[in-house]
Amino acid sequence: MELIIETKNLKKRYGKFEAVGNLSLEVPVGSIYGFVGPNGAGKTTTMRMLTTLTRPTDGQAWVAGHSVTQEPRAVRRAIGYMPDEFGVYDDMRVWEYLDFFAACYDIPESTRRGLIDDLLELVDLNHRREDMVDKLSRGMKQRLSLARTLAHDPQILILDEPASGLDPRARVEIRELLVELAKMGKTIFFSSHILADVSEICTHIGIIEAGQMVAQGSMDEMRHQLMPHREIVVTVRDQETADRVKSLVGDADGVVSASIIEPKSGRSRVRIDFIGDDDGVAALNQNLHAAGIAVMGFTEETKDLEAMFMRVTKGMVT
Amino acid sequence: MAQETLPTQGVNTIIEAIDPREARLGRAAAVFRWGALANGVVVALILLIALLSGLGVIPGLFTAMHQLLLGRTAGADDAAVAGTVLLIQLNITALMVLMVGVLAREIWGMLGAWLLALVNLVGLFALGFTPALLTVITAVWAGVVVGRDVRAFRLNPVMLKELRGRMRGARAFVVLTVYLGLMSGLTALLYLVYTPASRATGSAAAGEVGRVLFMGIVGIELMLIIFIAPAFTAGAITGERERQTYDLLQTTLLSSSSFVIGKLESALSYVLLLLLAAIPLQSIAFLFGGVTELEIILSFVILTVTGVALGTIGIYFSAAASRTLAASVRTYTSTLVATFALPLVLTIVLDILTGGIRTLSPVVEAVLTYIDDILVSLNPIATALNTQSLLINQQEVGFWAHTLASDGSTIPRVSPWISFTIIYLVVGAILVVLAIRRMHQVEE
Ligand SMILES: Nc1ncnc2c1ncn2[C@@H]1O[C@H](COP(=O)(O)OP(=O)(O)OP(=O)(O)O)[C@@H](O)[C@H]1O
Ligand SMILES: [Mg+2]
Repeated sequence: MELIIETKNLKKRYGKFEAVGNLSLEVPVGSIYGFVGPNGAGKTTTMRMLTTLTRPTDGQAWVAGHSVTQEPRAVRRAIGYMPDEFGVYDDMRVWEYLDFFAACYDIPESTRRGLIDDLLELVDLNHRREDMVDKLSRGMKQRLSLARTLAHDPQILILDEPASGLDPRARVEIRELLVELAKMGKTIFFSSHILADVSEICTHIGIIEAGQMVAQGSMDEMRHQLMPHREIVVTVRDQETADRVKSLVGDADGVVSASIIEPKSGRSRVRIDFIGDDDGVAALNQNLHAAGIAVMGFTEETKDLEAMFMRVTKGMVT
Repeated sequence: MAQETLPTQGVNTIIEAIDPREARLGRAAAVFRWGALANGVVVALILLIALLSGLGVIPGLFTAMHQLLLGRTAGADDAAVAGTVLLIQLNITALMVLMVGVLAREIWGMLGAWLLALVNLVGLFALGFTPALLTVITAVWAGVVVGRDVRAFRLNPVMLKELRGRMRGARAFVVLTVYLGLMSGLTALLYLVYTPASRATGSAAAGEVGRVLFMGIVGIELMLIIFIAPAFTAGAITGERERQTYDLLQTTLLSSSSFVIGKLESALSYVLLLLLAAIPLQSIAFLFGGVTELEIILSFVILTVTGVALGTIGIYFSAAASRTLAASVRTYTSTLVATFALPLVLTIVLDILTGGIRTLSPVVEAVLTYIDDILVSLNPIATALNTQSLLINQQEVGFWAHTLASDGSTIPRVSPWISFTIIYLVVGAILVVLAIRRMHQVEE
C-alpha cells in the first residue's frame, strides 16, 4: 500500500496545550479518507500542518513524498486545500476568481480560459460565470471553492469539512462530486462530523480524539476492529414468519442473539446480532432463502458508524 | 525512541525553487543581493577613509581616493567623495529593487538590470566612476542568468486582480472626477484669494501668480498622497487575513515577493493615475509663466517617490499586524513621526544646542549643515520647498558648493530632492524586503 500522506509522531502544541499529539496518519494513494472527530479534536490543526500553514512543534509529515517543513512549495503544488472557513473577494466575478487562483499557480494565460470552462462545468456553475462571487449561495461558494482547489490539477485534495453548513441536497451533491474526483484518480482527505458522509463514500477512515488518533484503517478493517457485533435486520411479511426466522437463525454460526423488534410499516422485523465477516452474512441470507422464507428485506444497519464513533469517543471530550 | 529534531532552516529563505526556472531566478536575485552588499561595503570604506583623512590621521588618502573613485570630475575632493557615495547609494537601491522584482517575476526586473548596467557604464566613462564596475558586473551577470528565460516573467496576478476590482464599474471614474473637481476648485480658490491680495500690494507679476498656483497644486497633491498612499497599502495583507483569504493564497505557489510587489504596484498605479490626471491642471500655471518644466518634473519625482515610500511603509505594517486598523494606526504614526515630528524636534534641539555658540569651528559647521540637509530630506514638503528655493535663488538642481560662514571655505552639498529620493527609496526597498520576510514566516 503506497502512502501519499504520512505523518510520524506529528505534534502541535499551543503554549502548554497540546492540540495534536503523536499523530501518525497513513493515507493511501487513491483513497477517500474520512478524518472524523468531535469538535476541538485537532482535525483542522492537523490539516493546517499538512498544508504548510502551521509549523509542527515536533514530528514529521510527508505529503506526496515531500516534507512539509523542508519543501513546502513542492507540497503546495501537490495539494488543493479548502479550509473550514474561508472568504471570497467581494469585487470579483466567478470566472475572475478562478482565473486569479489559476494565475497564482503559474498557469499560463492561454490555457486558463479553457481550464475555467472545464472547472465550472465540473462543479455545475457555468451559468453563474459572470456573477459576483460574494452574491453566490453558500453551497455554490463551496462548489466554487472546490473548483478552485482543482485549478492546478493536484494529486491530493485536503478538504476541511466540505459539507458543513449545507442543506441535505447540496451535501449529496458535494459527496457525488468527491466520488467523481476520486474516480479521476485524486486522493481525497477530508474531515467531517457527519458520519453518514463518511460511511457512504469513504474507503478509509481515521478517528481522532483530543489530538490522538484513536483508530484508522480501511472501512472493513475498522468494522472488524471496532464493531465485532454486526446488526442485521430481516424484514418479513408477518409475525409468524418472524418467529420462524428467529428460531432458524437462533443457533446458526456467529449469531449472538436474535430478537423480534417492533414492526415498521406493518411489517415484522427480526434483529440479529452477529459476529463474523461478510461471507457469514451472505451465508445467513442464503439459509433463509433455502428455508423458503419470503424475505422482504435483509439489511445491515448503516448507523453502525455512528455507534462506532460514540463508542470510541465516549467521555473523552476536551 | 529518539525524537528526530525538526529542521527549521529552509522555511525562512525567501523562495524555495520547485523548478529550474525558479532556481535560476533565485540565483539571479542572489547576485543582486551580493552586489548591493558589496556596494554597501564600498560606501562604508569610502566614508571611513574620508573620515580618517578629514581628521588628519592620514592626510594624503583623500586626494588619492578622488582619482580612484571619480577620475574625471573637476572640483573639490570632498565633492567627489559625496558624489561617489550618493551614486553608490543609488546603485544599492536599484539592486535591491531589482532583486525583489526578479523574485516577483516582474519583467521590469530584467529590463532594469540591463538599464542599470548601461547607466553605470556611461557613468564609468563619463565621470570615471570606478565603483560602477561592481554594479555593471553584478547587473550583467544577473541579467544574463535571467535573460535566458524571458518567459519565466509574467503579469503579476495580484496586481491584475486588484486593478480589476478597483477599476470596476463607475467607481474609478467617480473617484477621478471628484478628485479633479476638488483640485480645480481649490486652484480656483487660490487664484481668487491671491490675485486681489497681490494687486493690493501692487506686485501682481503674472509669474508670481503662476508660481503660487503651482505651489498650491503640488502642496495639495503632496498632502493627498501622504494620506492616500499608506491607506491603499496598509490593508493589503491584513485585509486578506480579515477576509480569510490569506490562507488560500499561502497554499498556492504565489511567492511572497509576487504578492507584496503586486499589492504595491496596484496601489501605486492608482496613485500615479491621480498624479498624472492632475498634470494638465499644473500646466495652467504655465499660462501665467514663472514655472519651468524642470520644476514640474522635479515636483513629479518628489510626489512619486513620496507615494512609493509611504506605500511601502503601509505594506510593511500590513505584513506585521493582524488587523487593518492596527496596521493603519502604526503606518500613520510612524509616517508622521519620521517625516514631521522627528525632523522638527531635531531641528529645534539642534538650534537650542548651537544657538549659544557664537563662532563655530568649520568642521562643526559643516557637520551641522549636513545634518540639517538630512533632516530636510526626511520631509517631502520641506524637500519640495528647499529644492524650489535653491532652483530659483541659486539655479542649482544637483551638486553645488556651499561657502561656510566660519572660514569662507566651501563644502559640497546636493539639492534636497536627491538626498530625499535616495533616503526614501533605500528605506522603501528595505521595508519591502522585510515585508516579504514577514509574509514568508510560517505560523508557529
Ligand atoms: N491558533 C491557536 N491557538 C491556540 N489554540 C488553538 C489554536 N488553533 C487551535 N487551537 C486549539 O486546538 C484544539 C484543536 O482545534 P481544531 O481546530 O484543530 O479542532 P477541530 O477538530 O478542527 O474542531 P472542529 O470540529 O470544531 O472544527 C482546540 O482546542 C483549539 O482551541
Ligand atoms: Mg475544524
